[in-house]
Amino acid sequence: MRKKRAAATLMALALAGTLLTGCGTSGSTDSTTAPATEGGETAGGQETADGSKTYTMFLRGPFVDWIEELKWYDEAEARTGVHVEYVKGPDNETDTYAEVDQRLISGTLTDATLCRQAQANVYGAQGAFRDLAPLIKEYAPNIQKYLDGNPDYAKLVTNEDGTIYGLLSETPTLADVVFYRADHFEKAGVDPAQIETVDDFTEAMKTLKAYYGQNNPNYYPLCGRETFFRFAAWFDCANNISSEESNGIYYRSAKNGMDIYADNFYHMMEVLKGWYDEGLVNPEWVAGSYAEGDWEAAMLNGDCSIGYDFFTRPQWFMDNGGPDVDPDFQMAVLDNIKDENGNIMKYQVDLPYNERRATVINAAADDETAKTIIQFIDYFWGEEGQTLCSWGVEGESFEVVDGKKQYIVDYSTEEAKPAGEKKWSFLNDRYTVCKPVDDEAFYEWNGDVVKEAASRLFDEEHLMKAYNIKFTDEQLETLDTLTASLGEEITADLTSFVTGQTELNEANWQAFLDDKEAKGYKEIEQIQLDAFRSTYGQ
Amino acid sequence: MSKRSKNAAVSAQPKKPLGQRIKKDLKKNYMLYLLLIPGIIILILFKLGPLGGMVIAFEDFSAFQGVFGSKWVGLENFKRVFTDPYMLTLVKNTVILAVLSIVVVFPIPILFSLFLNEVRVKKIKDGVQILSFLPYFISSAVMVSILYTLVSPSYGLINSIIEFFGGDPIYFMAEPKWFRPLYIILQIWQTFGYSSIIYLAGITSIDQSLYEAAEVDGANRWQKMFRITLPQISSSIVIMLIISIGNIFSVDLDRILLMYNPSVYETADVIQSYVYRIAFESAGFPDYSYGTAVNILKSLIAFALVIIANKLAAKYSETRLF
Repeated sequence: MRKKRAAATLMALALAGTLLTGCGTSGSTDSTTAPATEGGETAGGQETADGSKTYTMFLRGPFVDWIEELKWYDEAEARTGVHVEYVKGPDNETDTYAEVDQRLISGTLTDATLCRQAQANVYGAQGAFRDLAPLIKEYAPNIQKYLDGNPDYAKLVTNEDGTIYGLLSETPTLADVVFYRADHFEKAGVDPAQIETVDDFTEAMKTLKAYYGQNNPNYYPLCGRETFFRFAAWFDCANNISSEESNGIYYRSAKNGMDIYADNFYHMMEVLKGWYDEGLVNPEWVAGSYAEGDWEAAMLNGDCSIGYDFFTRPQWFMDNGGPDVDPDFQMAVLDNIKDENGNIMKYQVDLPYNERRATVINAAADDETAKTIIQFIDYFWGEEGQTLCSWGVEGESFEVVDGKKQYIVDYSTEEAKPAGEKKWSFLNDRYTVCKPVDDEAFYEWNGDVVKEAASRLFDEEHLMKAYNIKFTDEQLETLDTLTASLGEEITADLTSFVTGQTELNEANWQAFLDDKEAKGYKEIEQIQLDAFRSTYGQ
Repeated sequence: MSKRSKNAAVSAQPKKPLGQRIKKDLKKNYMLYLLLIPGIIILILFKLGPLGGMVIAFEDFSAFQGVFGSKWVGLENFKRVFTDPYMLTLVKNTVILAVLSIVVVFPIPILFSLFLNEVRVKKIKDGVQILSFLPYFISSAVMVSILYTLVSPSYGLINSIIEFFGGDPIYFMAEPKWFRPLYIILQIWQTFGYSSIIYLAGITSIDQSLYEAAEVDGANRWQKMFRITLPQISSSIVIMLIISIGNIFSVDLDRILLMYNPSVYETADVIQSYVYRIAFESAGFPDYSYGTAVNILKSLIAFALVIIANKLAAKYSETRLF
């Protein structure tokens, strides 16, 4: 009996002890001091046995996977003598940044990490992140040169007191293009060169529908993924901003935003509804219930002929089963739509700098580590680093012919390598290191369809200019609250007009506009205008 | 000696001081108290302790500055909740879903367990029970994918049947009026088998002599089911009902995020999805404080409803949760 009691007592104590041990924290809990760094003895910018310096960095999971596959990245670490120990985060960006917060709370943040610019600035001012300005001045001549040569970028990352808490990555010029099944067009007798205006486009879709839809009830000439409302630029209704005016919700949606108060917007709705009513556009896409896989299957299986999506997508269909399903499968990219006067309608582009990817240095990282981090990043802002991350190693991945670089490794072969295998890849829209992007190299590292389209369409004549705007914390809070409801509501209401759940007439349209104004639409525009003026001046 | 006089004799003895009684009780039952320690630690650390974190609803919370270092803003976040014009729509959508969950979903496992209890072949009974609670272990993502496949207007089974009988395909996932029924159907599918376990456990503990007596009196199976089985498990039903009312504002966020799209925001956007957008998906600084303020209000209303339901249950069925 005593033995049993003793055993039971021990078990209970052990269980309680285990619980308490599990509740311990490995980092500092003092909120007024900088958080501890994770990584142990090897982190901290100290030299390891092989002479390289190391630091730790918490990143979103897929980013770490991409980095670990890159041959040029390994070469960069070898040349700089810096090794980064990446700590893999969740796959999802939202979850990753929530984990940055958790790591701050628990004092387990790595030496460096990636976060939103708003997080960088707020936490930075509170003492969580290092001020990069003095580090750049002292140890990063290439970054300093970039800041001096790009005042817009400098304004964006520099706070009023001159501090810089987060360095933003440059984004390649990214836009959506209209792509089509060239073989479908040819068989149906549609000449893409004749498609200039929206009316021409509509007529082409009607011809395609008549040809392919007669025996296939699931055929719709136009289909896509995510939002259907991406045609605003075709009708001169895209959101826009300048020091004079702010139209539409620019915040969070520079590329696909709309100006619902634009003169042509109602006309656009009539055209979109016409497409829907005549079965020219996939109704599930309009409704928002069409998954990406459904769209890809429809394009590959011939249930659809036209898409309007990211510019690399036409090549993706060529490389991912198109010709296997149909030997005639051929993608091509349509010219920009023109207005009735023959003017090219400029398409929207992504912001030049990605505000969701600010590189920060933990304030708890020691001076030597901070120096190592900024010097490693700086390497990629210089000529040698730029060449390495954009073209690779001369003789191995590229050569110079007549003074011009060209790849000697094949895009399709390299990108087709299985996950985890080392490869040459220069998809610089993916995050690897915070750095500028060489657009020319980025477009060159693509299949023929994309290369041709980028060289033809990605210039000032065909694309709008996008602006990063710097908002204050208060402005961001108001914008977040307003757009959390309004953004969804506008899309829902527009969908309802197109699908016919709400009748599209002048009275209903005016009621829709009045409702959005009452719910803060104009307030959003005013905040954007104020912030634009504050960022770029009057 | 009668029972009353015995009790009187006991109560006539002088009561020992509380400290002594506790000491005596601890000495007598120390093994039980020892075993209770881990549970109490869990309760304090993971249930009661985190409640203190709710204070961030009154702050402009920064993860770096922590609960004690963040700026105190008082009721500012609560004012924002009440002045948010979108909040009414969200509350309406949340409450309708919750009420439907109680009215439609809640009785299904009760009926299921009543009928399953009538199955006489044990193997079939066990087999059905196992199959019924299997969906509980399938993730919401898989469930919603299955639903999408079933109701797809192009290739879904449901629409194929509709078309076979001459009807037009229905865009189930894109029509606001279909969102709530589909959400409820998924909830029934996913939870009814698992929930029925509680009632089946209650049914197995019913005194068999009651059924024997009813048989002698000539009761048929329906009468036994509704006159004996159902009343015997009424306590479990009432307690489960009170718990369900406590969860009235808790919807399955995963399921909603997977099911909602621009066409159905009108009925699908609920408090949780809105809070998720503000707290986690914002491009600005994460607004955990506002999200917590909304959740505190939600919890207070649910708590009040539980108290009312508990009182009503005590009054009308002599059963209560606490």
